[in-house]
Amino acid sequence: MKPVTTNFRNKAAETLEDKQIQQSIEHVYTGFFQGRLSAASETPNWEQLRSKGKEIKDHTIAHLDYYLNLLANNVQKNGGNVFFANDAEEARNHIIKIAREKDVKTVIKSKSMVSEEMGLAEAMNDEGFETVETDLGEYIIQLANETPYHLIAPAVHKSRSEVAKLLDDNFREGDPVPDANQLTMLARKKLRSVFERADMSVTGANFAVAESGSIALVTNEGNGRMTTSVPRVHVAVMGMEKVIPSIQDLSTMLRILIRSATGQRISTYVTMVNGKRSPDEEEGPVEFHLVIMNNGRDKLLRDSQTRESLNCIRCGACLNACPVYRKVGGHAYGWVYPGPIGAIVSPVLTGLKDASNLPGASSLCGACHDACPVKINIPRMLLELRYRTAEGSASKSERSSSAKERTVWKLWKIGMMGRRRFDLGSRTSGLLLRPLVRNGWMRIAPPPISGWTLTRDFPSFASKSLKARLSKRNRTSKS
Amino acid sequence: MTEKEQFISNISAALGRKTIQKPEADHRLSFFESASSINSNADQSIVDSVNRSDQLMDQMSSAAETIGWKVHHASNTEVAASIVAGICKDNNAKNVLRSAHEVLDQIVVDAAISNIGASVEVTEHQGDYSQIDVENTKIKAFAADTGITGVDYAIAETGSIVLHPRSGLSRLVSLAPPIHIAVLRPAEVIASLDELFALERSNFINDQLEGSMNIISGPSKTADIEGTTVTGIHGPLEVHLVIFKDDHIGQ
Ligand code: SF4
Repeated sequence: MKPVTTNFRNKAAETLEDKQIQQSIEHVYTGFFQGRLSAASETPNWEQLRSKGKEIKDHTIAHLDYYLNLLANNVQKNGGNVFFANDAEEARNHIIKIAREKDVKTVIKSKSMVSEEMGLAEAMNDEGFETVETDLGEYIIQLANETPYHLIAPAVHKSRSEVAKLLDDNFREGDPVPDANQLTMLARKKLRSVFERADMSVTGANFAVAESGSIALVTNEGNGRMTTSVPRVHVAVMGMEKVIPSIQDLSTMLRILIRSATGQRISTYVTMVNGKRSPDEEEGPVEFHLVIMNNGRDKLLRDSQTRESLNCIRCGACLNACPVYRKVGGHAYGWVYPGPIGAIVSPVLTGLKDASNLPGASSLCGACHDACPVKINIPRMLLELRYRTAEGSASKSERSSSAKERTVWKLWKIGMMGRRRFDLGSRTSGLLLRPLVRNGWMRIAPPPISGWTLTRDFPSFASKSLKARLSKRNRTSKS
Repeated sequence: MTEKEQFISNISAALGRKTIQKPEADHRLSFFESASSINSNADQSIVDSVNRSDQLMDQMSSAAETIGWKVHHASNTEVAASIVAGICKDNNAKNVLRSAHEVLDQIVVDAAISNIGASVEVTEHQGDYSQIDVENTKIKAFAADTGITGVDYAIAETGSIVLHPRSGLSRLVSLAPPIHIAVLRPAEVIASLDELFALERSNFINDQLEGSMNIISGPSKTADIEGTTVTGIHGPLEVHLVIFKDDHIGQ
């Protein structure tokens, strides 16, 4: 999904200035943050669980070749198909090929960051398959033609009235009332009819169990269940780091994931599927495909300094805990993975040179490390990546290429630290960045990670900051 | 080299080795547990649950209430059936779908529902499953206004019920209708996710793992519009848990 650049930038700026939306964003983050704290404190062996989670992930990632091989063999044994995709393009093409071969018309998607990474929904729509996001937040984002704002709450930046307008623009069923309850019921009705006609689903996999070839899906809405029950073809996509060894490990991993994500003891639905419909079942998909994607993760794996980032279970706790993320919001990070963990994986996966500002977008306060359910030492990695950017230690090609760029990133960093300085920084960097910018956007991801540039561009600073433009507009309107 | 071999050998290389290496047994990880220990863990889970059944049922009942189940208690079959029929009646049910769970026959739920003037059908294909038309199951599930099931397990720690879709238990009966009623007996309650996955794992190594599993914890919900929690986005808007503890048997 390509951002509509000018629109998006204005929207983001509006949101920054909109006190009410700022409040509701803060409300959601604080809710998640407090939820995690109280869930942790009511769990007597919380610290043990975190250590156990770290043990499981450390071990699996250190033997990733073994466990992926085992997983693939077991999925096949259960009658499923496995495809190994080296990058986003291979994954996309393969899934489109399945849809074509199976004569699919309507594809339903449940929330999956990896499919965002592939830019899958947009690519499939372009190929003529009606492709619909079914997580309510993702659905809203899809209608708005935007990108997710948060790992768990993708549409957190949208107000009720904006959602009402989106639904009205798309369905024209009389003005929907901007009330969360009524809007949700309208979306239920719309999505029900899509579920009923869907013939293929694409889901993520929160975990994939190597020993049994199962995948586990965690949702509150029930779309994870709909997508695995209704269509005749089910395609699950996963980053290669999502494998865990045994069924028993799910007990630890689900506990820490869900408590850290939303503060619930358990999500409304946890669905485990071991492939296609069993022969004596009443319904279910007749075909199951698992797509396991690398897309640059081997770089994180190869480097002992960044390997730990593959332990991430995408709970979003580090986002909610991060003072910088809470200020600049999810879109500023320029790619599907925002926040502290995004600041690590994005630069490595896109190439240090082009996203070297991201590790700088942190105050290194350590809140992310404390929050992380698998104890990933994010500040250590951020420091390392900053060091490499500054010193150009990794390789010549990963270095910031010019003194001008270095100055720009530094200014950006300083700018992030406070509104006052943000104003100053944004005026200056607007001038400095201009040569790198096309259509108001910086393209941060170079090939071969083309999936990234497909879905995300990086906004440059407006040459006039919003505040400056607002005051100018006020002056003009007064005159 | 196949695509798979190439992909995996690239990972081996990133980990600094030429080929896949089987990890050395690490006894902190459940993966390396012996079959006999997995089976005895599962047996122990059942023994513990039976011994603590009363306490676990209390815990289950209050945890379930917290996450949005409407909890009802029935002390005999007639009361259980009339609670279920009462919920159907309150919601003006016309078109009820139910699983083939044995407990629903035990409480003779069909007669009670027919008495309030609603139709009731069991989601069980009659005849050879190789001839089944799954579209038919889907159409019925989407048309039903109420879905009734038993439970395979209940988890006291979280207030969840567990269902393994199979012959006689459609995946959709607990999902598509706006109202779901689950009837639970004390023997089905276990303590926590640990016990659940211990049982699943033992089933797995004994080649008895079901094709899929759902852990269900309250009504379908979302908070995707301004963080306001709304129930019933894709699944049921309302879920009822009827705890049926038959005083005659004293179970
Ligand atoms: S890095 Fe840790 S806290 Fe952040 S999303 Fe990943 S698992 Fe959660």
